[in-house]
Amino acid sequence: MTSNTLDSRALGFGDCYGQRFMRPGTYRYDVVRAGGGSIVTDHPYTIEVVAAKGEATMKQHDVMLKTKGRGFVVDSETLTINEGDLVLWTCVDPNAHAFEVSGDQAFFGNAALTNECGYSHAFGAPGRHHWVDALGGPAEGVVTVKEVRCSTPAELASWRKRLSRGTLVMINDGKVEPAEVNIVVGQRVFFAVVATEPMSITDAALVGACRAD
Amino acid sequence: MDITAAIDEPAADDLLDTAIGLVTIPPASGSGALGPFVASYGASASLSPGDVDLIAPATIRIDDFRLDWNLSFSFGIDLSTFLPDFCLPRVCVNIPCVGRVCTPRVCIDWPTVSVPVSFSDFVKVTADFGISITESGGVWKVEAVVQGVPNLQFGATTAALLAAISLAVTPILLAIPFAGPFLAVAVNAILVAIGIAGITGFLGPILSPFVSGLRIPIYEQAKNFEAIPASGPTDPAVFVTIDDVRADITSTDEDELVLAIDIS
Repeated sequence: MTSNTLDSRALGFGDCYGQRFMRPGTYRYDVVRAGGGSIVTDHPYTIEVVAAKGEATMKQHDVMLKTKGRGFVVDSETLTINEGDLVLWTCVDPNAHAFEVSGDQAFFGNAALTNECGYSHAFGAPGRHHWVDALGGPAEGVVTVKEVRCSTPAELASWRKRLSRGTLVMINDGKVEPAEVNIVVGQRVFFAVVATEPMSITDAALVGACRAD
Repeated sequence: MDITAAIDEPAADDLLDTAIGLVTIPPASGSGALGPFVASYGASASLSPGDVDLIAPATIRIDDFRLDWNLSFSFGIDLSTFLPDFCLPRVCVNIPCVGRVCTPRVCIDWPTVSVPVSFSDFVKVTADFGISITESGGVWKVEAVVQGVPNLQFGATTAALLAAISLAVTPILLAIPFAGPFLAVAVNAILVAIGIAGITGFLGPILSPFVSGLRIPIYEQAKNFEAIPASGPTDPAVFVTIDDVRADITSTDEDELVLAIDIS
């Protein structure tokens, strides 16, 4: 079972990776264990992007992942969308290992977020979560997660209400807005990347551990 | 004893040119409606001379004097108005000591972004001034005081300011995720929402007070002053008291601004 780790390179249960496809074409991908994207040669799943007719609107398409054997399967192997649409991958299997959506093009995949994409994480632990770009970029920020009191029905209702609110962090060319956000345990933050050098959103403690190694 | 001084239109033009150049307009700040948006602003202005026309019995008309103005303002745009919503599917997380908690489907609210704009331009104004004579604190003052609220014609300024807003909005929206093809639509929608009427309605209340309260000093003198200094123990200083000041415009062979002063 995956832990509640903040790392856009290794998606866990409760995380989402979203990608917009801005040009028509065929985009292939696979879902593999985190870190395996660089050695993937087979891309069994397809996003068919067709030219939008009429006024441009962005539609959202959700792709649900489940584990099967030692790999992953998606609920729609071929998805046809309009250019400009958003596809959002999430894993509904609590026993899944950390995974990675690995596309056949450089912009497509959560190992390195590049443009018109995003990563969401549900924070399960209170505390101050300092995140950095593990790929060396300047982007960084802090998510402060507060504990909640749920000893009364009113407090529980208040917490549930807060859970239904998402928080948006926008990243453009290494700039983060807002750089600090405050949420409560269980709430989700969506990190939306406009355009930037390939980057990640990674708990600074993990990057520190890697550097120590 | 009376003292009368009269100047014709060219001389009045010179006098008021100099006086207008010395007028200091205090800066203004506040907030106002910019179409459907609320903008907070800071504005400053200065005056340049125009052509003086003396009209009997008591009107000084100044044609085409310039109000140069500088305006900085910012307004907020609720991105939810323009950008499509997107939602995160329901997920469950394990929370220490609590267990697994499943969140509902969460739709992300777009923030409101602030758009700062700086813009400078000028407007030519023609206004009628009355003559105000006051004695306060031992000082006589003659001033030209604008009558009513001059109508400011912004003309091409409105289009230029809309263009400036477009230039200010575009890079901000470019930094917004998923703005993609909606950018042009959003910018256009913002400009349409503001419109020429919105610009005029915004500028008018900001710039009109710079002119409507305008007072141009013409003459200022202490009521009591030393006219001739003492030149010896037996020749003391001569002091003059101004008992009354009158000013009007006469129109005989030519139009003149006439100042009549009673002294004792």
